[in-house]
Amino acid sequence: MYSEVAILQNYLVVGALLFGIGVIGFLSRRNMIVMFLSAEMMLQGVSLSLVAWSRFHNDFGGQMLVIFIIAVAACEAAIALALVLMLVRRTGKLDVVVWGELREDNQLPFEEADLPEPPTEPCEPWPTLTPAGVDPKLKPEQTDCRPNV
Amino acid sequence: MFDTIEILLILIPLMPLGATVATAVLGAKILRGQSHWPTIVAIGLSCLMSLALVLKVSGESKPATEHADTHAAGTHAIGYEKTVTLWSWAAVEDAYDYDSPVGDSVYQGDFRINIVLRADPLTAIMLAMVTFVSLLVAIYSVGYMHDDPGYWRFFTYIPLFVFSMTMLVSVSNFVLLYVFWEAVGMCSYLLIGFWFQKPEAAAAGKKAFLVNRIGDFGFALGLFLLWTTYGTLDFHDTIVSGQVQSLGIFGQTMLATPGAYVTGGVGTAICLLLLLGACGKSAQFPLHVWLPDAMECPTPVSALIHAATMVTAGVYMVARCTPLFQASTDAQHVVAFIGGFTALLAALIALTQTDLKRILAYSTISQLGYMFLGLGAATLLGITAGMFHLFTHAFFKALLFLGAGSVMHAMGGVIDVRQFGGLRRLMPKTHWTFLFGSLALAGVFPFAGFWSKDIILAAVHEQAEVHPLYEWLYLAGLFTAFLTAFYTFRAFFLTFYGKERIPKEAGHHAHESPLSMTGPLMILAVCALVVGAYFELTHGFAGFLERTPSIAYLGTIAHEAAGHAAGEGNHLVVAIISTAVALAGIGLAVLLYLIRPGLRDGLTRAMDAVGLYRLSLGKFYFDEIYNALVIVPIRAGAWLCYWIDRTLVDGLVNAVGLFPMLVGAGLRPLQNGMVQFYAMAMVLGLLVLIGVLLM
Repeated sequence: MYSEVAILQNYLVVGALLFGIGVIGFLSRRNMIVMFLSAEMMLQGVSLSLVAWSRFHNDFGGQMLVIFIIAVAACEAAIALALVLMLVRRTGKLDVVVWGELREDNQLPFEEADLPEPPTEPCEPWPTLTPAGVDPKLKPEQTDCRPNV
Repeated sequence: MFDTIEILLILIPLMPLGATVATAVLGAKILRGQSHWPTIVAIGLSCLMSLALVLKVSGESKPATEHADTHAAGTHAIGYEKTVTLWSWAAVEDAYDYDSPVGDSVYQGDFRINIVLRADPLTAIMLAMVTFVSLLVAIYSVGYMHDDPGYWRFFTYIPLFVFSMTMLVSVSNFVLLYVFWEAVGMCSYLLIGFWFQKPEAAAAGKKAFLVNRIGDFGFALGLFLLWTTYGTLDFHDTIVSGQVQSLGIFGQTMLATPGAYVTGGVGTAICLLLLLGACGKSAQFPLHVWLPDAMECPTPVSALIHAATMVTAGVYMVARCTPLFQASTDAQHVVAFIGGFTALLAALIALTQTDLKRILAYSTISQLGYMFLGLGAATLLGITAGMFHLFTHAFFKALLFLGAGSVMHAMGGVIDVRQFGGLRRLMPKTHWTFLFGSLALAGVFPFAGFWSKDIILAAVHEQAEVHPLYEWLYLAGLFTAFLTAFYTFRAFFLTFYGKERIPKEAGHHAHESPLSMTGPLMILAVCALVVGAYFELTHGFAGFLERTPSIAYLGTIAHEAAGHAAGEGNHLVVAIISTAVALAGIGLAVLLYLIRPGLRDGLTRAMDAVGLYRLSLGKFYFDEIYNALVIVPIRAGAWLCYWIDRTLVDGLVNAVGLFPMLVGAGLRPLQNGMVQFYAMAMVLGLLVLIGVLLM
């Protein structure tokens, strides 16, 4: 039997997780759309907490606030996506680092860190599915191992 | 609403003002070569109205008829005055509480500046003289200034100048007097620098303005002191329904009260400060240096400045302030001394100058010195003589300047007497009129200058019994009369006699001037011949002027009556001596410049040996002395201030400006353009906030 408090805790934990993931996503990703999604996620985390508290206190104020948040978020989404679209049209890139041009004059630009070298040895090919009705082409060793198939 | 005198008073200055506006608006585009018409018509009308005003005032001020209704009922009016209040310009209520110098009533000093014009004999005479001379100068200018690119500009300034001067002599308040005092200075600046393309003309205009400024500064201080002493700056009593509402400095109440005028240190200080202003405007030592340089202006303007509209203002002001000067014997002595000294000094300088206009300029300074000498004698005779000399001088000095302008016009702008000569056949009209002017200036019987100069000397001689200073000033005046006759005829002979020489600059101009120029010359020549004799013999001038309140005041003071009776015989002796002296001066000029020019070099060498010649030629080095004493130290001070401003003050300001720049440089790395960085800052802020809340 869960007490009310325990239920509230579950909601709050989920809300906090949503918010935390959103923060981490916002801070770590460079794709503007993903960053926007992360921000939305933070918003939803907060909304969830608000709803939970509202339910806990039996006060509809929190839920009302959430409805407002949803409405505002919708508008904000429209604007933000339009903005992203325009930015992409200018540069052809979704990378937010491109807009580091807006820094103060004498600040150093963002230096792209070197990506790790791709592994030199060829890797195992991914398994493939043979279309239906055709004998799969098997390597000789595989036929050896699976004589009865 | 207004009676005749009031209407005349209002219209006389209004006419030239209208001409100024009309020419300023229409001159450049529409009138062009015809720009002189508004000026001549307006000043002509003003002149007619001024003459009418003189007649009207003369009629109304006759002592036999009682016109006391303008004054407080029951008291016997001193002199004749009539004022017309147009509107109130500014008022500060209860500005000042002061103990009235009259009776024991305390006046609530409302500070009021009303636009009030006054009519009294002094004003009427000045108005008539100013407008008459200005009219002739304006007519003359039509010929003189033709083809000048600034023709319409010239005829915008001239009526403005006349307007300022007519207002100056007809206002009835020290503040307004000061305003128009400045306006006259401004107009003279504009006109002296009329040919502003010439650097000398621009510099001369600036010099005139700055030197006048020193005088005006003294005048302003004098006004402040007058206000704190008397609590009013009006000339007249303000009367509301028969009651004296506020006193005027030269109002009937003050004039009728013995001891109303402050004597002692304060009284002397007021007089000396006012005198400083008068010295600046009337080019008296030590502020005389601007007038000779002002010769850079067009010659009609010289005539206007010297005869009618500018330098006479100082003399007028001192004459107007007679009661103040009467209260301070020391101030009288200073006035007389400055007058006598300037007369002698300027005459000595004029002896050796070679620029015809400059000779005339120094003669003006010298003659103004005579006027101050007369005013400084501070008797009824002295004051009227000073004003009479102002009056006659206006005619013959305008005549001489216009004559010089005529010569200059014919000689293609050359005015150095060494470069031309023997012009009497070439320019007969100019020659004869110039001769009349010279005789008047030299003071030869029966020309105008004789009468007025003679009375001044007589008045000074009379005062010699009172104070020994006047005896010396009398001798200086006689010597100056000798010098005046000599240098006047030196210039005259050099210009019109001897071998005919014409400078090559003259070109085809070398002929007699047109009628618009010789006409005024002839009118003025007739004036130079008759005005002195007419007004002196009919006693018209002095008798009329004596009815001015502030001059009539002298008649009410007892000590006057004693010496006057003995004056007549004395007067004749002085007249004979001064004529003899003048003839001696002319004789010397005839000897040196006509009969035996060879003697000249010997005399020059003898004078040079004692250093006198060079001293005179160098104008007693006043410009150099002022340069060393005033201009160089001020320049050095200015440089010092410049240095302090540039290094200290600017350095401090720049240091203050550096502070935000440094702070900005410190904060700038925060704006690195990385969105994540900003987001991180927000998150960290959030965490700090949460931490604070949880603690």
